[in-house]
Amino acid sequence: MIRFLLRRCFQAVVVLVLVSVIVFGLLHLLPGGPARAILGTHATPTNIAAFNQQNGLDSPVPVQYWHWLTGVLSGNLGFSYVQNESVASLLAQRLPKTAFLAGISVLLAVLIAVPVGFFQAVRRNRAGDYVVTTVTLVLYSTPAFWVGILLIDVLSVRLHVFPAEAPQGSFSALVSDPQALVLPVLTITLVTVAAFSRYIRSSVLDELAQDYVRMARSKGASRRVILFGHVLRNAAGPVVTLLGLSLPFIVSGTLITEYVFNYPGIGLLAFNAATSQDYPVILGVVIVVGAATVVGSLLADVTHAILDPRVRASAGIA
Amino acid sequence: MNAPATGRREETPVVAPVLQVTGLDVDIRLPSAVVHAVQDVSLEVWAGETVGIVGESGCGKSTLGLALAGLLPPEAETRGSIRQGGRELVGLRERELRAIRGAEVGIVFQDPMTSLNPTKRIGPQVAEALRLQRGASKAAALRAAADMLDRVGLPRPREQLDRFPHELSGGMRQRVVIASALICEPKVLVADEPTTALDVTTQAQILELFDGLSAELGMATLLVTHDMGVVAGHANRVFVMYAGREAETGTTETIFSAPRHQYTGALLGSILRMETPRKSRLGTIPGRPPDLTVPAAGCPFAPRCAAASGDCTSQLPTASAEDGHRWSCYHPLGIQQTEHIPEAQR
Amino acid sequence: MSLENVATVLGPGEGALAAEAEATAGGSWLRAFGRNRLAVAGLVVIVALLLFSFVGPLFYHTDQIHTRLAMETLAPGAGRPLGTDDVGYDELGRLMVGGQTMLEVAFGAAAVAVVLGVLWGATAGYFGGLLDSLMMRIVDALLAIPAILLLLFLATVFRPSVLMLIIVVGVTAWLVPARLIRAEALSLRSREYVLAAKTMGVRSPTIIVRHIITNSIGTILVNATFQVADAILLVAALSFLGLGVAPPATNWGAMLSDGLNYTYSGFWWLTYPPGIAIVLTVLAFNVVGDGLRDAFGLDSRRG
Repeated sequence: MIRFLLRRCFQAVVVLVLVSVIVFGLLHLLPGGPARAILGTHATPTNIAAFNQQNGLDSPVPVQYWHWLTGVLSGNLGFSYVQNESVASLLAQRLPKTAFLAGISVLLAVLIAVPVGFFQAVRRNRAGDYVVTTVTLVLYSTPAFWVGILLIDVLSVRLHVFPAEAPQGSFSALVSDPQALVLPVLTITLVTVAAFSRYIRSSVLDELAQDYVRMARSKGASRRVILFGHVLRNAAGPVVTLLGLSLPFIVSGTLITEYVFNYPGIGLLAFNAATSQDYPVILGVVIVVGAATVVGSLLADVTHAILDPRVRASAGIA
Repeated sequence: MNAPATGRREETPVVAPVLQVTGLDVDIRLPSAVVHAVQDVSLEVWAGETVGIVGESGCGKSTLGLALAGLLPPEAETRGSIRQGGRELVGLRERELRAIRGAEVGIVFQDPMTSLNPTKRIGPQVAEALRLQRGASKAAALRAAADMLDRVGLPRPREQLDRFPHELSGGMRQRVVIASALICEPKVLVADEPTTALDVTTQAQILELFDGLSAELGMATLLVTHDMGVVAGHANRVFVMYAGREAETGTTETIFSAPRHQYTGALLGSILRMETPRKSRLGTIPGRPPDLTVPAAGCPFAPRCAAASGDCTSQLPTASAEDGHRWSCYHPLGIQQTEHIPEAQR
Repeated sequence: MSLENVATVLGPGEGALAAEAEATAGGSWLRAFGRNRLAVAGLVVIVALLLFSFVGPLFYHTDQIHTRLAMETLAPGAGRPLGTDDVGYDELGRLMVGGQTMLEVAFGAAAVAVVLGVLWGATAGYFGGLLDSLMMRIVDALLAIPAILLLLFLATVFRPSVLMLIIVVGVTAWLVPARLIRAEALSLRSREYVLAAKTMGVRSPTIIVRHIITNSIGTILVNATFQVADAILLVAALSFLGLGVAPPATNWGAMLSDGLNYTYSGFWWLTYPPGIAIVLTVLAFNVVGDGLRDAFGLDSRRG
């Protein structure tokens, strides 16, 4: 187990370094360099030179990288000239809100998808399965923003049940208005359930076809005993890994949902930054999300190893 | 069901067979075909004996084994009769079959690695049948499990209870599987190719284990295998199957020394025996096993049989018997004739 | 019960024969696919959409270049089955033009993604070792960054055009096929015919193409289909956020974005047609992908 942990952690660190390299690369990918990007198109050469010197942009690239990296690790993610605030402080305000939205949605999604996936697998090819499978298939093929729009159109515009916009303001203001959270959470949950239940259904079907299920049957186990005593724990591992791998997908969905519902999280922040060409902010979001995904994925893998002894024994794959 | 409440059939003071199969037919319904896996099979098995069920891959022996253990899939249609312990198994509902599985009939499959749940420890898996069928408590069941592991020859059984399947070798795993199948001491054990996945030395050990347990528990064992060598060394009687049907059955000694069915002869001719002359070639059986979705009109072996004649393809041969030795062939080996008339053999 | 399950329950002997019986009754993967009615329906839908988008305008002439503000936001009626949008374009014609862009970008991006991903993954899996680790860590790093964010960034730097969109979407999408093909390569490289080829001195690139890739064609095809579906969703999302191609070109995502402004006014023909078109197309590709996967008998947890 220890060997597996060490190996995985090492891999995660490598990936994090690579993420930072990519972000750094993107920063310098901008035409005219970061100076022009940050100062805007009206910047004069003198301004740019001064800016470059001030920010160490005339040093060799590896040195710049090092400075930038150490800066990031100590909490300095740059400064947004557009919003006149440090990127770190902008993120600090909005990250909790996104985490809250995504967290609740994912939790709901898992709580719904697991029983649904099991149901589909157990009732394979019967009426119940067909209905559920069709619904999840259609949902799976629907873009998140369209789900959001439909929900707004039906539940907000026509039926006036829920508000179409999320509450602005502080985190506590957000949390204290649960009605306004329903539609955004529902949007992300629906899209995520569609993806998860498909996977869980396959996972459970695979387990049910295994020999040990046949063996358990031969000892007189009923379907319920097999499902809960054998299949559940075996299917749990892959589901956890799925969660880890789905983080980018969940974040994408959250981003779009924030846009549709005007939810003040990092998604909306990133979008506004994109349209106003506020590159430090976008890249700040990228780094934070990237790091969170890597860590989340690591946690998921470790949990899987705890659940499935075979994973521990195989000392990790490259 | 009209099974008597308890016990065996009370008839003449002759010992009754633990398992009696009569005219068993098993059809498997697939989306675009029906596989006639078992056709008109009849056999009897007594307590303490080992019957080898042999045949090529796909001859129906595995399906027969599953039918005897009550493990056929819902797609299977069963006709005929399987009487075990005074109870009729054909036509039982799932709930009733569950009470029999593990308690009366146990089964061991070919691959010990996949027969065990990789994420569960050995102890609970061996104890499972006891808890399901006898309602034993966790502690009591684990004690019985350790006991059973000892009986199957696993060293340090108490320690093994906490280990995971992948920590054991193939031979040890198969012993664990056997222990888990026998913990309720069933009357019948079906062993479906139990040694095919093991190396030769381990094979021998496992087969000896079966012999010992059979004697110790007074259990009837059905060894389903394609390996004649296994049968020669460890079965009292042999049941040869071809294309879902019985080809020949008799004591091991008779079958090996005086086979009657052409197929049996061909099978024996294809294996290496002590008596095989040094420079001779092993025989092979040309052709392939028939398509089980199309039931043959005559003898199913006819297309591949060296001695086949017109009769063979037009009509199914009826069985001939002689002192517990039974075969269904128009041109049985070792019997001189030009024109076959089965009645003349009675 | 599926065929694989019957085969498992019956055991290696009869199970294999049963599978064979079914297979010979069924035929190759093409025929297996053909027997899947849902998948065939999906294929029909795709063909219909291609015809609608590319051949449709030849029969249904509308002006998609000049705006006619006098005709804005008219409800469906005579001569305009789906009404007009907010600058006077005929909505049905818009749907066709939008479809062209969507499908062009989606197929193009999927092609880029599959080619890039297959080459990367096959190389990594075949060589293994340190090279494999490094290449896969790069994939992991890129996967950790959600495509939308990367695309947001790239789309503001580069001016949107169909070609740009294809490259940008393709460049973020190649990661999944890379992972899949790498897994295939890992299992295929120890096959005997590969070892034989190596012994005979066949050079690595040839082995990779001729043996590894050709034997993964099933996985590749299935993934390519899902790539198209995902690309459509991604392009729709991007365009919805306003980062797609510039007018008078359009695509369904942009149409939805424009139409969103009018949800409150009840102009349903501005949002439902493009929305339904997106779902229908993606659904069709997903269903075809599922059908292909079943026809090839692949593990349903991948792709």
